[in-house]
Amino acid sequence: MLTILWLKGLFAYRSGRLLGAIVGVALTVALLASIGVFIASSSATMTRRAAADVPVDWQVQLSPGVDASGIANAIGKSTAYTALEQVGYASTAGFSANAGGTLQTTGPGKVVGLSPNYRQHFPTELRLLIGSLDGVLVAQQTASNLHVTIGDTVTIQRVGLPPVKVIVGGVVDLPNADSLFQAVGVPAGASPQAPPDNVLILPDTQWRQVFDPQIAVRPDSVRMQFHVRITRNLPADPNTAFVYVQQMANNLEARVAGSALVGNNLAARLDSVRKDSLYALVLFLFLGIPGAILAMLLTMAVAASGVERRRQEQALLRTRGAATSQLLRLAALEAMIVGVGGVALGIAIASIAAGTITSVGLFASITSIIWTANASLVGLILAVVAVLYPAWLQARNSTVMAARAVVGRGRKPIWQRVYLDVILLVVSAIIFWRTASTGYQVVLAPEGVPQTSVAYETFLAPLCLWVGVALLAMRLCGGGLEHGRRVLASMLRPIAKKLSGIVSASLGRQYVRLARGIVLVALAFSFATSTAVFNTTYNAQARVDAVLTNGADVTVTGSTAFAPGSMLSQLKALPGATVVQPMQHRFAYVGNDLQDMYGIDPARISDVTSMSNAFFANGDAQATLAALAMRPDGVLVSQETATNYQLAVGDQINLRLLSASDHQYHAVKFHFLGVVREFPTAPKDSFLVANASYIAQQTGSSAAEIVLIHTTANPADLAIQVRNVVSALAGARVTDIGTTQKIIGSSLTSVDLRGLTSLELTFAILLLAGATGLILALGLAERRRTFALLAALGAKRNQLGAFLWSEGAVIQISGGIIGIALGFGIAQMLVTILTGVFDPPPEVLAIPWVYLVVMTLAAIASMVAAVLSTQIASRRPVVEALRDL
Amino acid sequence: MDEMLVHMENGERTYSRGKTPVAAVVSATCTIMPGDRIALMGPSGSGKSTLLHLIGGLDSLTSGRLTWPALGARETLRPAKVGLVFQMPSLLAPLTVVENVEIPLLLGSGSADKARAAALDALERTGLRSIADKLPEELSGGQAQRVAVARALASHPRLLLADEPTGQLDSATARHLFDVLLESLRGTDTALVVATHDKVVAERLNTVWHMQHGILEVAA
Repeated sequence: MLTILWLKGLFAYRSGRLLGAIVGVALTVALLASIGVFIASSSATMTRRAAADVPVDWQVQLSPGVDASGIANAIGKSTAYTALEQVGYASTAGFSANAGGTLQTTGPGKVVGLSPNYRQHFPTELRLLIGSLDGVLVAQQTASNLHVTIGDTVTIQRVGLPPVKVIVGGVVDLPNADSLFQAVGVPAGASPQAPPDNVLILPDTQWRQVFDPQIAVRPDSVRMQFHVRITRNLPADPNTAFVYVQQMANNLEARVAGSALVGNNLAARLDSVRKDSLYALVLFLFLGIPGAILAMLLTMAVAASGVERRRQEQALLRTRGAATSQLLRLAALEAMIVGVGGVALGIAIASIAAGTITSVGLFASITSIIWTANASLVGLILAVVAVLYPAWLQARNSTVMAARAVVGRGRKPIWQRVYLDVILLVVSAIIFWRTASTGYQVVLAPEGVPQTSVAYETFLAPLCLWVGVALLAMRLCGGGLEHGRRVLASMLRPIAKKLSGIVSASLGRQYVRLARGIVLVALAFSFATSTAVFNTTYNAQARVDAVLTNGADVTVTGSTAFAPGSMLSQLKALPGATVVQPMQHRFAYVGNDLQDMYGIDPARISDVTSMSNAFFANGDAQATLAALAMRPDGVLVSQETATNYQLAVGDQINLRLLSASDHQYHAVKFHFLGVVREFPTAPKDSFLVANASYIAQQTGSSAAEIVLIHTTANPADLAIQVRNVVSALAGARVTDIGTTQKIIGSSLTSVDLRGLTSLELTFAILLLAGATGLILALGLAERRRTFALLAALGAKRNQLGAFLWSEGAVIQISGGIIGIALGFGIAQMLVTILTGVFDPPPEVLAIPWVYLVVMTLAAIASMVAAVLSTQIASRRPVVEALRDL
Repeated sequence: MDEMLVHMENGERTYSRGKTPVAAVVSATCTIMPGDRIALMGPSGSGKSTLLHLIGGLDSLTSGRLTWPALGARETLRPAKVGLVFQMPSLLAPLTVVENVEIPLLLGSGSADKARAAALDALERTGLRSIADKLPEELSGGQAQRVAVARALASHPRLLLADEPTGQLDSATARHLFDVLLESLRGTDTALVVATHDKVVAERLNTVWHMQHGILEVAA
């Protein structure tokens, strides 16, 4: 009977506090469950995207003389597959062709034999530029070297046999030449082998006719491979998928016992994504956990706001004969309502969030189910800790606590006496220094090794900073409010006028409660700020990464023969094309190594694309480009080249460039100016950057193979117009930054992270509004007696408002300033610790002004709502208010 | 003749308790003149507090007429013209004794400095100067009620309403509090209305009003 009465009372008279606690638990559960869903979702996306990028899953290389059908059978037993193609690779002494009355020759090359179905099964290996895929195909660079096109004859210099003539049917680009011509069986971590400079592709029947005789005389010059597309039912987690694919390949190698080696492209790709996956996990935890902790603190604060009333209720029940066990049963009932209600609401919110932002449902994977179950458990524990535990403490120690309230007045809490705040800040600084100064890797996923590790201890740096600043703020705010009443009074004079002294005295003596409120608001501000700043910085860097890959907002890539630079005036005329600039993309020999070479106008390149300081070893893009502009024959080279050739700034280098007049490579003098690490559209490994005008002068061709376009309009729309303009150029490819950003190599820029951060930013606003509004409202509600008395003594509405607005302002302004500063500190720390996420690393934090304004407005609106609702409540007839006391 | 401070004619106050109307004050007629010392007696629930709240402008009549000829409009009564002492502990916990006493003065038109001086003077008059800087939680029940009296007197009100001010005190402390109250009003024309059960208290005042079931009997 008592239980039912209590329940009725709880819903009728304590519904605000009950609902506040339920919402707090719900936010905690929803955040934790959402993190789980996003982790599962992002892992699955990364695995799927990584696998989709792989042109050929396995390249199984047969040992000379081995029966191919036996290997094919073994492959079928080791894995289910959707495509299996036999491919021949033959080495040649070179190719030659007669073009324009001159004989063009090349160095050693490869001739690949492909079946007619190959392109259907492995569509991304070949990209037709001109002609037809049915006949003999010549690689773009080889066509350029031999100066041949469709219908021309190329002579293949076979090894140990007379040459053979073939007629070119088409020119192709080999986008995945690195993997197509990889050395199968080299140990993991070995330097990658450059693909051959000259490549010819024959239909497999013709290849057999040409090279079967060569197999007979020089079996070492010919290799046979099976290209395999395995059935893609991979585990969702990249690391698990990597181990799974690796084990299948091991199984095959065991079956064939040395007769074949597996080039496991799929495992290699998954291997490279594992680190991204772990970084994503770390990122989710770094960004999400503080929100969950904040939601827990909010729940506990909401529950604690009723502590005085609960004490009175307990006392009343005791006087009517209620035993401690009965009191605890009633508190347990309240905890159960808060826990079960909060968990149910939290799961509902997480489910909506999961359905809205990702395609993965809340219960779609084991990972997310485990996270949801754990989140629910945390929610139930939180309800017990927030509601039942304090009630138990009160019921058990009421006399002691009552005594302590007087005797312990003014005594500092233990954390203040042992300077826990200072200790935590020092620990944070030490861990951060250790992480930042030593290039410490938070995530380790050694290439080819199944085991991975995450240095979770680095979490301690931001966590200690967070808690340390919170405690320090509590100490300083408490001290400031207690001892700085005069200063506070003068600050409050605009609001409280002549009541400012009384108001500041009142606030000063409630310093513990107020300091807690300030710290809670500060933590909410810091969570929102750090999440927003990190997210904005991350997105800005993702864009820089995309610019780096794509070159500019819109990029046209062609060839020397069909150079998009020739259509510059038409491209400049397009509406929306703000800046249009040509860029040469040639090839140059550095010693025997053929490298990509980019010819730019250093004075204007930064008008069209981002030139980050991180691109250059000296960390100064402006100075490097100015030096290049000053020195026409200057060249920037990669770190690897500078080290291998022991180059010092000012050294002369002879590079061999293809001349437009005789189609031969000739030495051209350059002077080494510095090291370039990354450059728009350039590959990750070695490349060169020089003045376009000098390259044009030395090669006799000013053709610009790339055109970069900057736009203030939608890049995707502009790209459509650009495609129309360059449609006449054979093989010209138009890409825009948005599309590139979606398919960019690093999976961290996937939509999942954006989804989570959007959710977190929404949660951050909710928590901020909750922290400012709810705490203030509940705190003020608990002090209805004070306001009723003031009203009875004759306080007018504006005078009551002075107390309310002053308290709101003190909590809001102090919490806001501390929180925003802490948020930037945390964001800077996260960016530094998680440097591995960024490519290239950001130079400064990006500031999300709009979000910060929205966040502040939300907090102010919440505070205003809390104060106004209290003011409205205080408008009740004074007698009625006094009767309730 | 002095102008009337309060005049009530056929005053009625009815509350709704669910669907049942409850008459707290029934057809009350009374007048309070400057210098009056009135004891309002009656059992619990007889309507004493409601009558005081009506006279003090905290509540309004359901029907009848209530005016304050010498005090002005209802909205201007508190904090300067009418002082209130409650039965329950009524000090604001985060404020010291002197700050509690100066609150009504600050809520009025006086400056902060004058308010502090007047508060200290009120404490002096009530013998509480020595505890001016103490917090309410450091006071005994009797001290807290004396501070409440000092607060009500600080603005030199024309009318002081005390709702069972000694109700929660032992008899000795109650007597002492009442001594302080009467002593402070000696020589002033401040009217005093005290709601009380205590006959000893009532005997020390000039006039006794009785209330029973909301009906006021005013002595001739």
